[in-house]
Amino acid sequence: MEIIGDDKRIRALFSETRFVDEQTAPSFTATWSRAQARALKPRRAFNLSFAVATALLVFVLAGLALWSRYQSGPTMYTAFGNMNAVLNPPVIKSESDTVKTVDQPHIKVRRSSPAQRNALMLAAATRKAEKKVEAEAKQLETWQSPTASLLSSSSDSLFKSLPHLNESSTELKSFLPNRDNEKEK
Amino acid sequence: MNIAELKTELERLHSASFGWALSCCRRDHSDAEEVLQTVYLKIFEGKAIYRGESSLKTWLFAVIRKTAATEYRRKLLRTLRLTSDAAEVEHHSSFETPTATFERSEVQAHFQSALKTLPRRQREALHLVFYEDLSLREAADVMGVSIGSARQHYERGKKKLRESLAKMEVGYGNNWGRQENPSAV
Repeated sequence: MEIIGDDKRIRALFSETRFVDEQTAPSFTATWSRAQARALKPRRAFNLSFAVATALLVFVLAGLALWSRYQSGPTMYTAFGNMNAVLNPPVIKSESDTVKTVDQPHIKVRRSSPAQRNALMLAAATRKAEKKVEAEAKQLETWQSPTASLLSSSSDSLFKSLPHLNESSTELKSFLPNRDNEKEK
Repeated sequence: MNIAELKTELERLHSASFGWALSCCRRDHSDAEEVLQTVYLKIFEGKAIYRGESSLKTWLFAVIRKTAATEYRRKLLRTLRLTSDAAEVEHHSSFETPTATFERSEVQAHFQSALKTLPRRQREALHLVFYEDLSLREAADVMGVSIGSARQHYERGKKKLRESLAKMEVGYGNNWGRQENPSAV
């Protein structure tokens, strides 16, 4: 019974609240027309959160693109620079007694297409190979056998010299001194 | 149901809807009005469509409940983000509405403060049953929970409300709750 009584009291309190709420409720017409006005009002085309998210995404993508470009860049330029150093060695100039300055090879940092880069690399490699062949040819020219000294003798000059044309017989005899001398004796 | 028919039905349910919106907005008059306006806007724009799966009142109350929850979250975020907004909210809270004047009456003040101490689900269950005269099944539909769960919220809420009202009224010598017959629970 007590519970039913409690329920009644709670219900009574709620009814009292309801009565007051009904008195203070805004009119339906006003609320509906305000809602309609809100519906007809042009919406903000520019959504701030969407714009911020898009800007952030673009920024991140641009950053990534730049990073990837510069990440691959230095290795290429270093190789290019070294190649220049090999092909054009630095010239040491003595400007004074104490100070020596070295002209560093001018590394031209430029952005070229991959095809151009490949062509440059190929040309440099060809030049290097040609220089190597040239050096090897020079070495072959000045090559001497290690047993060449064993083949040399005191009469080498005689073997190597030839009688001249239109030479007289006496001179020819003299060309062969041992025989002539023996006959004369 | 076309928009004209729906409008007529909404007008009929307007004061009950406002009471429910008030309950969902912790009895903030301006918030409740704003929520109701948003609900009408949703219906007007076709964002909330009544499909006849339940009674119109149940459907409308569910829409109001969801809208109020969304508005509350938005308001909370705004308050957290901007201190100026927080000041504005404080200003609104201090605004004396006709309801507030009524709630200053002694018994109603106790009742309202006791209601505010209840968890949201329990408060909702009590409001739907006592204020709106809905059955527990309908209340469960509005709250989006099972009937068993709604019953539990209702029973626990009622018990807590009874206890807190009893505590408050002990000082005034009122015979509320089970002061005389504690075994009657």
